[in-house]
Amino acid sequence: MNGIEQTLIGGVEGGAAILIPALGELVGQRAGVVNLGVEGSMLAGALGAYAMAVATGNTWVGLIGGLAAGAVCGLLHSWLVVRQRADQLASGLVVWFLALGVTSVFGTGYVNDTVTPLPTLSIPLLGRMPFLGPVLFQHDILVYAGFVLVPAIWFVLHRTRLGLALRATGERPEVVAATGGHPALVQVVAVTFGAALGGLGGAQLSVGYVGNWFNDMTSGYGFVAVAVVLFAAWRPFRVLAGALLFGVALAAASVLQAHGVAVNQYLLDAMPYLITLLALITLARKGSSEAPEGLRRALADTG
Amino acid sequence: MAMAPVSEALLPELSGDPADDPGGRRQWWSLPDYRRVGIVVGTYAAVLAAFGVVLLLKGTNPISVLDTMLHSTLLNWGAVQQTILRAVPVALAALAVTIPARAGMVNVGGEGQLIMGAVAATGMGLLVGATWPGPLSWLAMALAGMAAGGIWAGIAGLLRTALDANEAVTTLLMNFIANDVMLYLIYQPWKYKGGSGQPESAPLPAVAHLPRLLGSQLNLGVIVAAAAALGVWLLLRRSGWGFGLRIVGGNREAARRAGLPVKQLMVSAMVAGGMLAGLGGMLNFAGLELQLRPDITATFGYVAFLASFLGRNNPPKVVGAAVLFSAIAVSGNAVQLTYGLDGAIVDVLLALIVVAPLALTRSARSAWR
Repeated sequence: MNGIEQTLIGGVEGGAAILIPALGELVGQRAGVVNLGVEGSMLAGALGAYAMAVATGNTWVGLIGGLAAGAVCGLLHSWLVVRQRADQLASGLVVWFLALGVTSVFGTGYVNDTVTPLPTLSIPLLGRMPFLGPVLFQHDILVYAGFVLVPAIWFVLHRTRLGLALRATGERPEVVAATGGHPALVQVVAVTFGAALGGLGGAQLSVGYVGNWFNDMTSGYGFVAVAVVLFAAWRPFRVLAGALLFGVALAAASVLQAHGVAVNQYLLDAMPYLITLLALITLARKGSSEAPEGLRRALADTG
Repeated sequence: MAMAPVSEALLPELSGDPADDPGGRRQWWSLPDYRRVGIVVGTYAAVLAAFGVVLLLKGTNPISVLDTMLHSTLLNWGAVQQTILRAVPVALAALAVTIPARAGMVNVGGEGQLIMGAVAATGMGLLVGATWPGPLSWLAMALAGMAAGGIWAGIAGLLRTALDANEAVTTLLMNFIANDVMLYLIYQPWKYKGGSGQPESAPLPAVAHLPRLLGSQLNLGVIVAAAAALGVWLLLRRSGWGFGLRIVGGNREAARRAGLPVKQLMVSAMVAGGMLAGLGGMLNFAGLELQLRPDITATFGYVAFLASFLGRNNPPKVVGAAVLFSAIAVSGNAVQLTYGLDGAIVDVLLALIVVAPLALTRSARSAWR
């Protein structure tokens, strides 16, 4: 296995832990709600999945725990933001701190536990291809789930009534309300669904890619997911590209170092953020910021 | 007013924004004093009760844990000093959120600005600290830290005014870049060869340490930070600049038509905020940490954002909230030592304190009905 292959494998595995939460964040932001608490959802999901897997001895049941724990964080955020009209950024940070505290306290007991990690599923035929096989088709189920979610979310957002209602809520909630829709409900559902995906992304770390639980294990992946959504200008397929870019950048450094190449990991780590920043600047420059209207209002609202 | 000032400081959102929701404001202020006090007391009793439930679930006695927390912060001079020292960077980074907020901008980049301030101070301290007399080194480090923080925030301000790139997003991204810059420096070029192999910079030469105050653990940085906070408060209240910021924050179009230099004001607010956070990073480094280490900010910047939020962007309240959060963080150490709980448990209390007032702002401010 050469270095490039190793990097790409790691990039896809780790990238899935960014991709799934980023898709969830995209759904919420399309409905007009930024959720910085996705970092908290990921932490809760990582522990929820791990704890459920330990308790039941079944990693698949663990995934349900991950989804549920992430969704709880999303419910809290959407309640604060939609019903109580709280500042979105502050509310997201609060959810993060809450999850950080709760998972640190209740996670300590699980640090020495072990679970059977999600099995690697090799896709028949495709998995045996040279190079592409190991890179794309020999992963755990959540990696494939991420790949399937990309077109699925695109389809729902852009080709169904539900998606139209959701995007309309993100642009002009008052219009949706005037035409008999329920923008508040749409936002709560979108944010909670997105946070559940955040929890699943956390599960990909704890019972998938890393196969272990330790305190604060997501270490900023949730914020990376937010960055990826911005990088992608709220488009699902670009989210895929962004998540893989971040994933590969994170995986590249350790592989390069293992091969004795003197490259500083942290300069490499900074690259995706720089690229995202540049992408934002170019987007803003075109004068056609694609941010949902309601989102822009929410971010400018300082209370 | 019968309400204790501290509880008022802890209730940011209750009065809300009159323009946003006149009804909600009238409701709250038209309540009799005893009911308002009751609501405040009840809310914080509920916060403590919720925290107590978490403690109970961990099989500890909430009363004794809370007692430990109290004794390890308010009732112990050593811990009070720790709280004040911790509050220096948190309060300055919180004011770094407050100033741009006056001009209607959102600075989520306190973390990165603190880091850049500490990085620049480290660079300056290692360069001149051993040879220059102490006071000159302090000044040089402070200027370097403020310059770095100001530039870091100023970039986001310029991107906003020149290219309309949202500053909440750019400052957040720049936090991670700042962190990577710091990690790069302490893992490679600045790595302390004589150390234990941990990624850290060489220690700041002793003459360049900020001097202690009268044999206490407190140092000169506390006075500098207090003076800076007072200065910010006065500037925002009394100066033409502070007035201009408020006009811009209130109605940008009106400010432009009135002939105010809107873009300059916006950028200056970001730069001023960044300079404060940079100063906070420098004071934390030269007064307390004395070595650049990976977790030197330890999410202070995000805690600061919440402090500014809780203090409703009102400088004295913001500083009060920063001190409260610092006390909570310090109490985490004692809880960890005494009960073997993870120190991060106090983050739950911090979050609950911020959530409580949000939970109180009922449907008067609710969404689309």
